[in-house]
Amino acid sequence: MESYIEIKKLCFKRGHRSIFNDLSLTIPRGKVTAIMGPSGIGKTTLLRLIGGQLKPDSGEIYLDGKNVCQFNRREWFAARKKMGMLFQSGALFSDLTVYENIAFPLRAHTKLPEDMIRDIVLMKLHAVGLRGARELMPSELSGGMTRRAALARTIALDPELIMYDEPFAGQDPIAMGVLVQLIRLLNDALGLTSALVSHDIAEALSICDHAIIIADGRVIGEGKSSDLKKGGSPLVKQFLNGLPDGPVPFHYPAGDYRTDLLG
Amino acid sequence: MFELIRKTGQIGLDFSATIGRSGVFFMHAFFGLALTLKGLRLLVHQIYKIGVLSLVIIVVSGLFIGMVLALQGYNILIDYGSEQAIGQMVALTLVRELGPVVTALLFAGRAGSALTAEIGLMKATEQLSSMEMMGVDPLKRVIAPRLWAGFISMPLLAVIFSAVGVFGGMLVGVDWLGVFEGSFWANMQSSVEFSDDVLNGVIKSVVFGLVCSWIAVFQGYDLVPTSEGISIATTKTVVYSSLAVLGLDFILTAVMFSSV
Repeated sequence: MESYIEIKKLCFKRGHRSIFNDLSLTIPRGKVTAIMGPSGIGKTTLLRLIGGQLKPDSGEIYLDGKNVCQFNRREWFAARKKMGMLFQSGALFSDLTVYENIAFPLRAHTKLPEDMIRDIVLMKLHAVGLRGARELMPSELSGGMTRRAALARTIALDPELIMYDEPFAGQDPIAMGVLVQLIRLLNDALGLTSALVSHDIAEALSICDHAIIIADGRVIGEGKSSDLKKGGSPLVKQFLNGLPDGPVPFHYPAGDYRTDLLG
Repeated sequence: MFELIRKTGQIGLDFSATIGRSGVFFMHAFFGLALTLKGLRLLVHQIYKIGVLSLVIIVVSGLFIGMVLALQGYNILIDYGSEQAIGQMVALTLVRELGPVVTALLFAGRAGSALTAEIGLMKATEQLSSMEMMGVDPLKRVIAPRLWAGFISMPLLAVIFSAVGVFGGMLVGVDWLGVFEGSFWANMQSSVEFSDDVLNGVIKSVVFGLVCSWIAVFQGYDLVPTSEGISIATTKTVVYSSLAVLGLDFILTAVMFSSV
């Protein structure tokens, strides 16, 4: 399995809190990889580290064979043409129409004439099913439509890597179904590498080829979704099955119950 | 005891770090304006939003301040029989001091807080992050046009303020209080020097424009991306800009006008 992203012994601290401690993982090329874990474990931070918005304290991150920790500002901006990130809120530019939003990266990075840009924008919007909504402003879109428009913007430059930050959060079943299908179809049709961060286990495992579970700042489970469901440590089992008690305890540490109540 | 010392030290360190971040931010944004057609179009759009849309408050304030100056000045000067000097009083006060300073304070309150809130909201909704991830530098695309627009608009607004104020002073002094129009304008013409008064006032407003715009965009860019963070940042913009303007006004006045 050829890897697109390789992370080796990553350490990252936020203030005094250690988020990642010697984290190592690989994201295979051309596949949908789900990165899952309990809340607050640093999954969004991991995406920001891969995308270069944050710098790790130590360790190496390889993107398509290149060590990104040594990139300067200019090299980063060139590398970012080949990657896209879908933020949780969509993050469409609120003062531009949907059309203008999708055209933004095309106008910023290419010198294509306006009629070609129009063709590309319409094709991308058609791929996500929003060709008719192109003149709407982001404030006029529903949550699901906002995310689809943001997805169209992410694929505007035909990137090699797309990172999804909690794409299924707060979506109704239809919108969720649409997104799930789009992520899978786009990955296969465009030959992308997709990294999906989510705590929606069912949806994430249903479309991913490879799953990585992160807890306590390191990888606790990795592999095909079917393998993870069968085997795995108690923590992996608790996470995947949504068990309330296990290695992540239900009770916050407290003294003896009887003494507390009666004594 | 040690906690107090530690906290004081921490505040000092945080303050230095913020000043440093602000300086680096300013250098990237100031020199980041794209001198292309697209960049200039963004700049013009921002000059409209920041400068042109502030005209109403500037003109109305200028008019009223000029009128009040003439009124108050007349009340004092009439005791010495010097009411003919009202033109010179109004003009010098406006051009040297009130024009640049009041315009800067109004600018900080209206345009500065709007800039901070806009940029802060873009940060909170991750629009700046997504722009960065698309390989477009938000400092060049979003911040630089706004910084330069404030920098260009402020002196122009200050000049308009002074001009409208003088007109307001004339309305009250000449038309209402009956000061002889000839002496109103003649005294003004003889006592207001271009290089000493008008130009110094313009230099002040350029400095104030730079400081107010810098504080406004930096507070927006640097805030904690929550609704409380935006509210704190807009308050900081207005307070810091106002204090900075008044402090710098004192320094600049001492430098420019002490020998006069």
